[in-house]
Amino acid sequence: MFPGSFMMGAKDRLLPPSIPYRFFVAAVAFHLLAWILLLAAGAEGVIGFVGGQGLVLAALHLITLGTLAMTAMGAGIQLLPVATRRPLGPIWAIKLMFILYAPGVALFAIGLATGLAGFQHGGAGLAVAGLMLFAVLVGANLRKVNDLPGVTLHAGLAVVSLVGLAVLGLLLVIDFTKGFLPDHGAMAAAHAVLAGYGFMGMLALGFSYVLIPMFVLGSAVPDQVGRRSAALSAAGLVCGAAGSAMGLAPLTVLGIVLGLVACGVYLRGMAASVKSRMKKRLEPFFRMVWVAWALLPVSLVAGLAPALGAPADPWASLWGFLLVFGWLLSFVTAILQRIMPFLASMHSSALGGKPALLSHLAPKLPADIHLACHSAALFLIAAGMVGGWVWPLRLGLIAGLAGAISFGVYTFMVLRRYRSHMAAAAAANHEG
Amino acid sequence: MAGSEANREPRDGGGPPEWMAMALDTVPLDVRPLLTEGVDPFAAVMEAAAVIEFGGFLVIDAPFNPSPLRRILAGRGFSSYGRKLSEGHWRVFFHLDGGADWESGAEVDVGPEGAMSWREDDGIHIDVRKLVPPNPMLAILRLIEGLSGTDCVVVHHEREPHFLAPELAERGWRIARASNEMVNVRLWLERII
Repeated sequence: MFPGSFMMGAKDRLLPPSIPYRFFVAAVAFHLLAWILLLAAGAEGVIGFVGGQGLVLAALHLITLGTLAMTAMGAGIQLLPVATRRPLGPIWAIKLMFILYAPGVALFAIGLATGLAGFQHGGAGLAVAGLMLFAVLVGANLRKVNDLPGVTLHAGLAVVSLVGLAVLGLLLVIDFTKGFLPDHGAMAAAHAVLAGYGFMGMLALGFSYVLIPMFVLGSAVPDQVGRRSAALSAAGLVCGAAGSAMGLAPLTVLGIVLGLVACGVYLRGMAASVKSRMKKRLEPFFRMVWVAWALLPVSLVAGLAPALGAPADPWASLWGFLLVFGWLLSFVTAILQRIMPFLASMHSSALGGKPALLSHLAPKLPADIHLACHSAALFLIAAGMVGGWVWPLRLGLIAGLAGAISFGVYTFMVLRRYRSHMAAAAAANHEG
Repeated sequence: MAGSEANREPRDGGGPPEWMAMALDTVPLDVRPLLTEGVDPFAAVMEAAAVIEFGGFLVIDAPFNPSPLRRILAGRGFSSYGRKLSEGHWRVFFHLDGGADWESGAEVDVGPEGAMSWREDDGIHIDVRKLVPPNPMLAILRLIEGLSGTDCVVVHHEREPHFLAPELAERGWRIARASNEMVNVRLWLERII
């Protein structure tokens, strides 16, 4: 028996590589498209943005739905069944999830960019249907798992947040045409809390407890750490989302403080694992993880300003930018950078030949360029927002687009090297 | 009867401990039916071990050498002595005496992650069952990084280690073959030539 075929065993088998990769490729494509839209909106469109339809809102949702959630789905469908040793669901359901979700995100972004209500409603409906299917599959998978509290508790919180953010999101979309919500901005803030810290944030924390120790070969994070960060996060999310929706500053601030404590517990757990690692030299992807970890607490602190009544322009915009582009996008692209060649290497011995080396599959130059451009974009755009300066912001948008192109090149090269390896293995098999 | 079976094929290094003569009358707890049904017998064994008084005995019949269990019970003061009675049938004798004789003569190393490793004719064996992920992977990689020559490594696992193959490849190793029997997944690792 080939080890590759053993790895595809029935009990907790790996998915065919095309399934998670379709999510990853879509995430990379939406990432690129988002930066193109931001550049098209221009610095003048970004400065002063506090909501409302148009290119900026469309780009924001291409990042949140198109890149962050799409990656979470692709990683989740592959990693959860392996981590929990339980099947996630039939492959047709996973394919259906993609068929609903990817066009839904695209339609929704077109609707937001153009203001066409039909596209907004249709796209939002399809995207929510895809997300709900994901929630059902994940919920069913985690239902009887009790030996991975760090993963399951956070994933459970993510699923609950997903339901909340989807309901609020649909209300916000309908409100664009009907105008029935008493405070659209407050609901949008609650939606952002549930989406950023709830759905994506909880998935990021939960997966971190498995992925980070595995990628750096560090010690396992104690279950107690995961339980604590989940309990604190749950309390923080309830307070933060309710406080934002009702415009209650003290409740929102309490949510932020609880979030900061949860963040401290999580980062201490991660630091202990990283410190105990076998790999003395951290891989290139980890530089982006450092950026993400630094900006997670910074985003929470930045949230204090709008919560305490500071003007939405620029403080709410800055908070949203640090949350979505600083913490989440940095973390997700770091994980994508590691997981794409990792999965390719796992599948590369399926035909019985030598496995492809992780170090060979992952090109370094595009990853370096992406890191430099992404970091520059974060700094320049944040500075431009706060100071109201057009030129730094414009340079930041260009840097962001250059980073997204580099990440696209990185993805293309990983897939090309994997295909070359498999073609060579197939040819060797044929000759043998 | 138990005594005649147990004397058939000594498995651990060294002779049986002196206390084993007294353990032979103990009725074995056979966990094989539980394993066949897919039930982890850990709780049943712990329940049985909990009522043993100091100086008492516990005998377990299992389809393989239950090394993680022996390690855990050693931490609770049980010495143990295991024998392979036939293919797929091990009998392990436990004696609650403070754990003085645990694995005596078996030349077993216990790594920092808690994995046991020992040498047999077909290579170096490492048992990573009952370790929390990613500790099984760490223990395996730590072992192979310390090896020189052409030693083969046999891994005793309780799950299919999907994430191990890329890290092995990076170190010039691969999974040459694998078998999966109940909760005993076994992998044979070798250097890539």
